[in-house]
Formats: sequence, C-alpha cells, structure tokens
Amino acid sequence: MSSRLLCLSLLLCNAIMTPLVKAADGKVLHLGLAGEPATLDPHRYNLRIEEAVLGDLFLGLTTFSADGKLMPGAALKWDVSEDGLTWTFYLDPKGRWSDGKAVTAKDFVYSFRRLINPETAASLAYFMYPLRNAEAIANGQLKVDELGVRAVDDLALELTLALPYPHLPERLLYPTAYPVPAHVIDKVGDAWVKPQNWVSNGAYLLRDWKPQQHLELARNPHFEPKPAALQVFHYPAANTQNAWNRFRAGTLDAIAAFPANELATIRTERAAELHLAPQLSMIYLVFNTRKAPFSDPRVREALAIVVEPATLTDKVMKSGDIPVGSFVPPMVADYTHPALSHAGQPLGDRQRRARALLTSAGFGPANPLELTLRYATGTDAKRANLATAAFWQQIGVRVELHQSELKVHYADLRQGNFDVAQAGWLGESNPEHYLGLLHSRAGDTNYGAFADQAVDALIDDARRQKDIAARHRLLAEAETAAMKHYPVMPLFALTSRRLVRAELRGWHDNPRDAHPARFLVR
Amino acid sequence: MILRRLSVLAVTFLAIVTLIFGLLRLAPGGPFDGERALPPEIEANLRAAYHLDEPVPRQYLRWLGNLLEGDLGPSFSQKDFSVNDLIAEGLPVSLTIGVLALIIALFIGVIAGTTAARHPGGMIDGLIMSVVSLGLAIPGIIAAPVAVLVFAILLQWLPASGIGSPAHYIMPCVTAALPYAAAIARLVRGAVAESLLEPHVLTARSKGLPELRILWRHVMPLAALPVVSYLGPLAAGLLTGTVVVETVFDLPGIGRYFVQAALNRDYTLVMGVAVVYAGMILIFNFLADLTYRVLDPRIRALA
Repeated sequence: MSSRLLCLSLLLCNAIMTPLVKAADGKVLHLGLAGEPATLDPHRYNLRIEEAVLGDLFLGLTTFSADGKLMPGAALKWDVSEDGLTWTFYLDPKGRWSDGKAVTAKDFVYSFRRLINPETAASLAYFMYPLRNAEAIANGQLKVDELGVRAVDDLALELTLALPYPHLPERLLYPTAYPVPAHVIDKVGDAWVKPQNWVSNGAYLLRDWKPQQHLELARNPHFEPKPAALQVFHYPAANTQNAWNRFRAGTLDAIAAFPANELATIRTERAAELHLAPQLSMIYLVFNTRKAPFSDPRVREALAIVVEPATLTDKVMKSGDIPVGSFVPPMVADYTHPALSHAGQPLGDRQRRARALLTSAGFGPANPLELTLRYATGTDAKRANLATAAFWQQIGVRVELHQSELKVHYADLRQGNFDVAQAGWLGESNPEHYLGLLHSRAGDTNYGAFADQAVDALIDDARRQKDIAARHRLLAEAETAAMKHYPVMPLFALTSRRLVRAELRGWHDNPRDAHPARFLVR
Repeated sequence: MILRRLSVLAVTFLAIVTLIFGLLRLAPGGPFDGERALPPEIEANLRAAYHLDEPVPRQYLRWLGNLLEGDLGPSFSQKDFSVNDLIAEGLPVSLTIGVLALIIALFIGVIAGTTAARHPGGMIDGLIMSVVSLGLAIPGIIAAPVAVLVFAILLQWLPASGIGSPAHYIMPCVTAALPYAAAIARLVRGAVAESLLEPHVLTARSKGLPELRILWRHVMPLAALPVVSYLGPLAAGLLTGTVVVETVFDLPGIGRYFVQAALNRDYTLVMGVAVVYAGMILIFNFLADLTYRVLDPRIRALA
C-alpha cells in the first residue's frame, strides 16, 4: 500500500518538476563554466574561469565588446603623451557602483595600488608591471604610493609607464585592472567579496554563491545600458561530461566545453549549436637547453623538424585545434609571421636532415638518443604525445613518456626538471606576449632557459619603441633569430569548443573567448 | 570500559589525521603551482600569508591547535570561503545521499533477503539472488552514467544533475545503494535461512504463533546481527563512496572536495574532509559495536 503511495508521489513530483526545469525564462540566463572560480576578488584571481564571471561583475577602463574586441569601458576615451610614457584616461561621468556611489579616478588609484601591494599577494600582479615602479613595489623595495598612477581629478586618471607600451589598453582588459570598492573594503576588509557586502561597477552584482552549485548574479540597478537578462546563473561543471549531460537535458543555455570524443557526433547532430573558435594560445614543445644533449642546437633542430603539427591535430586529436607554423599564433594581426626554416620541405627530406644532424651530434644506431617527453594529464594529451614520440622513433630516437598532473607538470617545468616537454600559453593579441617567453630574463616561464644575446637585444629594442609597426618589425626579426636555434617547436593553437543554444543571440566567437552576459539575449 | 573504547578512538583519530597530513606534504607540487607564472616575490608573499613558509611540524601543530577550537582554516583553492564554510555547505548533501542510500539499501536488502530465505532453493530464491548478484557486479561508475543516459537524456523523466528537488536525489541514492542492497540481501538470506531452522523457532511454530510474528520477534533480531556488524563498514563505504555518485551527478557534496582538493594541493580542505570522514567512520563503527551488544544477549553475557 505504502509503495503505491510512494510511486504516485514520485510521479506527481516529476510532473511538477519537469515543466519547472524546462521553463526557460527569457529574463534568466543559465551559463556553464569550465570549472569553479577560486575567488571573485579581481586582484587575486588566476584562471580564465574567473575572468568570465568577473567580466560580468566589474567594468574596467577598457572592456570587451560583444564580439570580443577592445572597446571603452569605465573610461570613455584616452590619450598618450608624445614619449609614450604617460596615458590619461577620461572616465565616464555616469559610472556608478552598484550602491549608487560614483566611480572616480581615486577608486582606480586605490585599486592599482592594492593590486601591486605585496600584502595583497596577487598572483597576477605582474600583469601591471608596465606601470612605473610596479615591480620594485611588489619586491618590497619601494612604498605603494610610488606607483605610477595618479588621479588628476575625479574623472581623469593618469598612468605613467616605465617603458612605452602601446598595448596598454589591451593589458587593462584583465581583471587585474578592475576597480574595487574602497569604501566597502575599508569597512569590512576581506569579507567584501561576500554576497551580503558585495558592491561592484559592472552590469551585474553578486547575489549568491553556493560552491559547486551556482553563482547567482543580478542586474546592477545603476548600470547603463540595461542588459536584457535580469539574472545570470553561472554553473561550474565538475567535468566536461557533466556539462554535456546538462546541455542535452536542456537545463543550460551554453556550456564552456564538452568531451572531445563527442565532437564528431556534435558536428553532424548539433551543427547549429556548435561553436569552434580559434583561441589566442600556443601549445608547443620546449627543449631544456640547460641539459645535454638538448643544449646542442643540432639535436633540437633534428627533433623539431620531424614533428608534423597538422598530423597531430587533424589525424590524431581530431579536436579542431589549429596547427601553426610559427611561435606567434596566426590570429595575431598586423604581424608578418616568419616561417620556420624547414617550412614547405617534404617529410622525407626533413627526416634525412634530422638523421644527419643527430649523427653530427654524436648519435646513431649504435648510440641512440634517449629522452623523456613530459606532458600534463588531459583528454587528448596522451594520444598527441604518443604521436610526437612516434615521429621521433622514426628517426631512431628512444622516447619515454612521462605524464603528470597539471600542477606537478608546471612545477617541474619551472624548476627545469625535464628533457623535452609539452607546454601551453594563453596570450594576448600581440607578438610580444609570446616572444617574451624566449627572453633570457623572462624568469620561470622561459622553461627551457633559452638565452641568446642577439634575440635579447632585439626584444629589448622592440620594447623601447612606442610605435606598434616598429615594435612588430623588430619582434619579427627576434622571432627569426630565435627560431633558427629551435628553442621550442610550436605545435598548434587551441580551439575553444562550446555549445550554445540557437535561441541565444549576442554570442560571437572570438579569439579571447570573451562572452559578456550583458550582450546575450534569449 | 566505554571510556577505554573512546580513548582508543581518539588515538586512532589522531593517528589517521597525522598520517594524512604527512602524506599530503610528501606529494610533489604545491597549492600555487599552475600554468600562469608566479614571480618569486609574489610566491613568497603567498606562502607567508598561508604560513607555508614555516617548518612542517610547526604547521601541523598550528593546524591541530585550530582544530581543537573548531577552526579548519582557510581554503587555498576556494579563496573566498573557509573550510568550515565549504563543509557546512557540502556535508548536508553528502549526508542526505548517504542516509537515503542506506535506508534504500536496508529496505531492498532485508525484503529481498527475507523473501529469498523463506523458500531456500526455490525459484523465487534463485531469481532474487541472480538479480542481487547483478547489483553487486555492476559498479556504480558504470551504473550511474547509464542511468543518466536513460532517465535524464533519453526519457527526460529525471534531472541529469545537481540538487534542488526530491527528484534530483532519486538516481544518485538508488545507484549508490544498489551494490550495498545486494550485499545486505545475501547476508540477510543466509542469516534468516539459518535462524528459521533454530530450535526456538520450531518451538514458536509448534505453539501456533503466526509466521509474521515469528519472523519479526524471533528471527529478525538474530538475523540482524550480521547486518549490524556490516553496518559499520556499510556506513563508511556509503559516505566515502559518494565521490563517484557526486562526480557523475554533479552533486555539491564533500566527497568531490576530497579528490579535487587533493589534486589542487588544497591542504586545509583535504584535512577538513579527512577529519569529517575519519570522525564519522570511527563513530559509526563504535555505534555498530554497541548495537551488536544490545541485540545479542549472549555477547553481553560474555563481556
């Protein structure tokens, strides 16, 4: 008797819940995130995941347009001095915090100082190192007031740089440059990120955050122009399979990623919802130049020229990623990408040359080159690296594969604990952001410790130019000079694989994968 | 006597958490290693902020001191929340799933086992035990995604993941319960079949007592013994086993934290969850022990 009641009540429950689950309210967006944000403090963030949510909550001096391009944000316009060192940003007089207070230049001065202040321990503070004295302050050598930021008046902010940096507006797109509410932080300290204290200047404010469940954003009453959606829910996905399940079940409007092996099915069955967008990124092989025999450029060249990125992406991974022929990704505009020296040569010729190079370096059938290829755990990673190893085995190299978790992998890379490794870099749309990795003073991120005086000199010279065309010319020379020595072998640029319901308008694919919720309309 | 047992419990608890603390620190990599570069001065600041620059024994004592005050510390990976916050949010979900799964497992297991035991060797017995063996053989990590595919995506009867309504709990609890229901059914079948042959049951039958009363009053208490002694490991298994169910059904419980936090080297969060698990397992085993004594007078007499 009671089991029949149970059955009935379950059916009733379901009958009620199903329409509720499916009732898509046009005023509420349900968006999937690739993972859980670690924090909503823009000065303490570290991952791309956080950028998506922070971009909805805050408005920086510059911001992303609906199609991922740079446009004025909290600043309506800006100009730069003759020597390229002083930038003045003119703030929008209508800019407001979500509690109604006006956003002023003093807020930005406070925020930049807080970012650079060593006490904040902001892991990405170095994004704003172009500001004068920033690095010295972060090192504890100077006081925070010495930072090159100044409020000329309530609506004019002056940023002073150490060297000319024409890409400054692009650098300000990151959450590290977002303003934070000084008037709230002074009262409640670190608890300002809690929903009950939340104040921000973006299109939305934080209403609630239930870890592992959702982040609930509500419209900022003082933000103009009013976005279409009243509420935005961001759902962190534990893994791509869950996100894919939820999308199929109809509960999410968009998801950030799906399992790579579903791509073929999705291409045929859900072509209208599939969004493949090449990303400003670079996946590459890095050689540890500190360690013999990888200190020998002949060995590096031999290993580099026999790997075929197109085979990896199209035949092995089949994930839609884009093979590249230079260390700066193809989406970077206004830059003539120098081709690698071996570009266009047939594989057979390259393999012969590689064998010859290895022989001249002292390796051969009697003394084969042995190496360990390291990579981080990931869905396609194993297959791609197996294929890379296969390329090398064809020229008589003995390869061992070593897989580790992401954290351990990058810790090893930074400590120089590897022979050859696969590494990745998410970047900006200027060549310097990638070539900087090959500078001898780049620090930990120059994993292979590549050092060449000519390359350093060219990059240093480029960094002194205030004109973009001049910088790019010098950087192209630097890339050519560096790649002759094969410190790295560029493989492919990532493609973001997203699913978006056809009814969701305002979604534009772009190489920064920026999709501010305020432009989305169902 | 109970005091002695409790002090053994406390020592065991301390040993477990110390071991986990040590193992965590032995693992390579730290909480701040990641793709994006970390300039050395900033890394130094971060480490100082979380007391990671102190010698490990001092960090251990500091953590232990905080634990005694009920403070599990800040989370390294979820910077806007303390470990207490995260566990307060996640524990009710894990407990609900665990308890519901336990009830379902007991319900199905006892009924199936008893029915099978009434006619041992018969067709019903064979049928029930075959289905039960299937439940034991199919692991949760296979049953769960299949359930999602069938009920959430194809039939769209139940939600695919998350929480928010009773319907969300059906699939997770049932898939979590099935292997244990199978194990309980086997235990109960064996115990009931045996008890039905005991002299005191024969006496009760010859006195003319109804079958149901015999089952309930004379057979069940003894048949419950193996189930009760299994309850300790069962509760432990269900609680810690929620990891799989939570991952497949995207449930915001603490099971997922255990794995994710370990991967992120979020030391305090792993320790917090370990404290909760170790505590619960030890307490459940202790309670199961006590219940065992209550149910079987012969054991009390022995002690």
